[in-house]
Amino acid sequence: MTSDRFDLGGGEPIITLRDVAKSYWREALEIPVLQGIDLEIPAGSYIALMGPSGSGKTTLLNLIAGIDRPTGGSLEVCGYELNDLDDDQLASWRNAHVGFIFQNYNLVPVLNAYENVELPLLLMKLSRRERREKVEEALAMVDLMDRRWNYPRQLSGGQEQRVAIARAVVTDPDLLVADEPTGALDAKNAEDVLGLMERLNSDLGKTIVMVTHDPKAAHHARHQIHLEKGVLDKAVEVNR
Amino acid sequence: MILGLVVLLPFVAYLLWLIWALVAYPIPLGYNLRSLWQRKLSSLSTAAAIALVVGIFVVVLSLAQGLSVAFVSSGRPDQALVLRPNARFELNSSIERDRMRILKVHPLLKREADGPLASAEVVVVKLFTMADGTDTNVTVRGLERMGISMRPQVRLIQGRWFRPGLSEAVVPRKMQGRFPGMEVGRSLRMGGRDWQIVGAFDAGGASYESEVWSDVNDVMQAFKRDSYSAMLARLENPERLEGFAKAVEDDKRLQLEVVRETDYFKELTKAGDPIKVLGNLITLILTGAAIFAAMNTMYAAVAGRTKEIGTLRALGFRQREILASFQWESIFLCLTGGILGSGLALFANGIQTGTTSFETFSDVSFAFTITPGLMAQGVAFSLVMGLLGGFLPAWRASRIPLTEAMRGG
Amino acid sequence: MRWLALIWKSLMRSKRRTLLIVGSLVLSVFTVAVLQSLLTTLNSVTDNPNSSNRLVVRHKSGLTQMLPRSYEAYLRQQSEVETVCALQWFGGYYQDPRNFFANFASDETTLFQIFREEFGVSGITEAQIKDYIRDGAGCIVGESLAKKNGWKVGDVVPLTGTIFPLNPRLTIRLIFKSPKPSDENALHFHYKVLEEGVPYMKGLVGSFWVRARRPEDIPRLIERVDRHYANSAYETLTETENAFNLAFVKMLGNIGAIIQGITIAVVIAILIVTGNTMATAIRERTTEIAVFRAMGFSAGRVLALLLAEGVLLVGVGGFLGVLLANLAAGGVRSSLGAAMPFFADFAILPDTVLACMLGALGIGVLATFIPAYAATRRPITEGLRSIG
Repeated sequence: MTSDRFDLGGGEPIITLRDVAKSYWREALEIPVLQGIDLEIPAGSYIALMGPSGSGKTTLLNLIAGIDRPTGGSLEVCGYELNDLDDDQLASWRNAHVGFIFQNYNLVPVLNAYENVELPLLLMKLSRRERREKVEEALAMVDLMDRRWNYPRQLSGGQEQRVAIARAVVTDPDLLVADEPTGALDAKNAEDVLGLMERLNSDLGKTIVMVTHDPKAAHHARHQIHLEKGVLDKAVEVNR
Repeated sequence: MILGLVVLLPFVAYLLWLIWALVAYPIPLGYNLRSLWQRKLSSLSTAAAIALVVGIFVVVLSLAQGLSVAFVSSGRPDQALVLRPNARFELNSSIERDRMRILKVHPLLKREADGPLASAEVVVVKLFTMADGTDTNVTVRGLERMGISMRPQVRLIQGRWFRPGLSEAVVPRKMQGRFPGMEVGRSLRMGGRDWQIVGAFDAGGASYESEVWSDVNDVMQAFKRDSYSAMLARLENPERLEGFAKAVEDDKRLQLEVVRETDYFKELTKAGDPIKVLGNLITLILTGAAIFAAMNTMYAAVAGRTKEIGTLRALGFRQREILASFQWESIFLCLTGGILGSGLALFANGIQTGTTSFETFSDVSFAFTITPGLMAQGVAFSLVMGLLGGFLPAWRASRIPLTEAMRGG
Repeated sequence: MRWLALIWKSLMRSKRRTLLIVGSLVLSVFTVAVLQSLLTTLNSVTDNPNSSNRLVVRHKSGLTQMLPRSYEAYLRQQSEVETVCALQWFGGYYQDPRNFFANFASDETTLFQIFREEFGVSGITEAQIKDYIRDGAGCIVGESLAKKNGWKVGDVVPLTGTIFPLNPRLTIRLIFKSPKPSDENALHFHYKVLEEGVPYMKGLVGSFWVRARRPEDIPRLIERVDRHYANSAYETLTETENAFNLAFVKMLGNIGAIIQGITIAVVIAILIVTGNTMATAIRERTTEIAVFRAMGFSAGRVLALLLAEGVLLVGVGGFLGVLLANLAAGGVRSSLGAAMPFFADFAILPDTVLACMLGALGIGVLATFIPAYAATRRPITEGLRSIG
């Protein structure tokens, strides 16, 4: 229903959810996690998705990012109706349109920073030189060019997360999704990472949807949305 | 020999320490066994691979043993074979009738009530068809009645012994399974005439179980031989052999060669050597492969439990206790495989087969006999694999620092 | 970095694990390659392509019984027969009984015609053949045998007989070459030497080698010869050269079954061990696999990468195993070849290599498939949730 639409600022919506629902089945019981989600997120937003544990915020993030499918409703993200894409098409779509930032960085330990950032590019039809340009650009953006030959075990937590961010932006996606990006970091590193994400949003116009339960992290976003027991709280806090 | 002992010593010492450790230290063996069970897939896979290697090991051992038994138990140290010089084997040898006459009354032969313990024998080889249709050479031995009593390991199990001059033959029970038409009462065609099978015998695994026996003169006539192959002689005691040999070799009328029966069969056993060597080599190589696999599993086990190990040490377990604990885990794992493998080998038990010895140019039957002794060897073997494969990983486990308990892992 | 680099680095995730498994594979494949080659060597004995015109006539009761020399006349009379050569295994030795080589008494005039194909490419001249025929105490030897003993043409070789009470002194008149190593480990001398030196061999022959004019004539010839001599004092058994050789191979017994049994056991063990290793490796990377898929790698691509890992692992192990087998082939030839003549030709044939490599690759795919497929079917969200 449009009357209760959240006001997240103007602009063309990059994410449109209509009556989205997600349930799991344990034995014969259906356990609903998300119900009746209606949401429009304009391009260029920086959203913090918050809520108590079990509220379904990670599930919602997964649906938006195209790594899970809804049990009901429709999702239009980055110009594509996700329900119309099969698994392989969804994979290609993710490659081009979404960048991921995880709480545990999830870098491949046997690859160095350069190779980790290069990974998503391997799926695109680029020459080695083109790949190198993009990787170096991304690493420069996170200020880790001098550590590009180091392996994850040789990097600090904060540096690892920055490499992960470089990996997330190397394909120049419109959308970045982050699941507790500062959860494993100390205060200083968390600040660095959040500042970086802010710049990605303000300078490069990337839409960011971030799941967090840390109010300090949430403050770096421009809007906050609350999820309570699988239903969106109508209250929207505007930070800046 | 000394080198073997020197190599074995640290090994045995380690094993003794391990056993003592089991008793003396509060090693949480239940923990180890439960860990093995928890990583079911890994443990079962490794045990299965070890089982296969141990199974091969036991079967190869029984093959080697079958080959040795077939020849070794055939001889006595106080008996000798008289052969043509340089003949090496009965089949190649010939002794003319007049020389045999002289030999039979030699003073050095042991004498009993019915005469000297000596048997003039002839050995020929004839093609027989086996149950599966292929032909194979079989030794046909013509001997005297004395020759039967000179071989006490031979027992009549059916019918009776042959009588001279009547073309009668006896067959070994082992051959009855592999060759058709060898039942008592049937007839065999050899040398252009029909022979009545009047009995069947057992020889305790000796090579005679691959021979058809009849009277020496009957065989010589049928196969158109006018000289014997050899004479089997018994002496008063084994020490008399040198004297007998010298007498026979120096005697200008004879000029024959004398070989102690046990030595004769030892030479024959060498026929099985290449197969034995090949079998041992293969087993050795596969053991290496199995040890690598076991090592791999144990390393993975250790790597997955660094936190647990750190915790154990924080709780107060000492490094050597951790070492013993993981070593025993590896031993249990491999022992399981060993027991499985020895059991697997039982499927080969009783399989009758044969090969042809190039020396005698005739068939040698033997059966795969998986004895409890062999199975025990298989299990012991797996124990060794557990020791070797598990040592390095266990050593590593013992070196994991206490701080691992606190780490995020 | 391209795909191969990615796959390689994934394997190097645990260097120790990869090394141990490759070690296991190398030894196992080595064993299988050697065992299978033993079998192919034995089978090739009966596949002599030059043998289509040749047959062997021997006593029905076996090779230890003789036939009368007079049978030669009857054989020559047959229209299908081109040449006849008497041949008897002498079984003597030179100096040491353990230095085994094949030695025969044969008809010197017809030997070269019977084995025309082999002698035709053996590098010998008409003059040398004439020398051998002329010298009643002459002999011919193969090149590798001559090299081993340091013999040259003109040297005298004293043989010690074991089957026959005869110690002939023979002069080498001819040294021949052959592509088959086992052929070169042989010596022939004149049949007359045997007949004259061993009284009971007078007028007797161990076997007749017969060359037919055309291969089609052989079945008819076999039937006629054996029928002619059936129920005589010396019954014959005539067979093609391949059948004759086959009988020798059969003497080794059921070695084929034993070898195949061991091969199967080893293959199963390899499958189990590789499967377990890959399953463990894949299980370790549940999260990593989910991350790859999140990044946009399709399920199919991830499966392909994992399978490629398994294949590379087994492929490297298999390749090294076959390589090792090739290196060991020489050793097998000299050790087993001394005990049994056919094994002097032991070689790892290209077909065997191919079969082993394909088998290894197949095992790699099979062993990796189940854990890899299961991993790619797991929902991405589940993989991300799992710890480690």
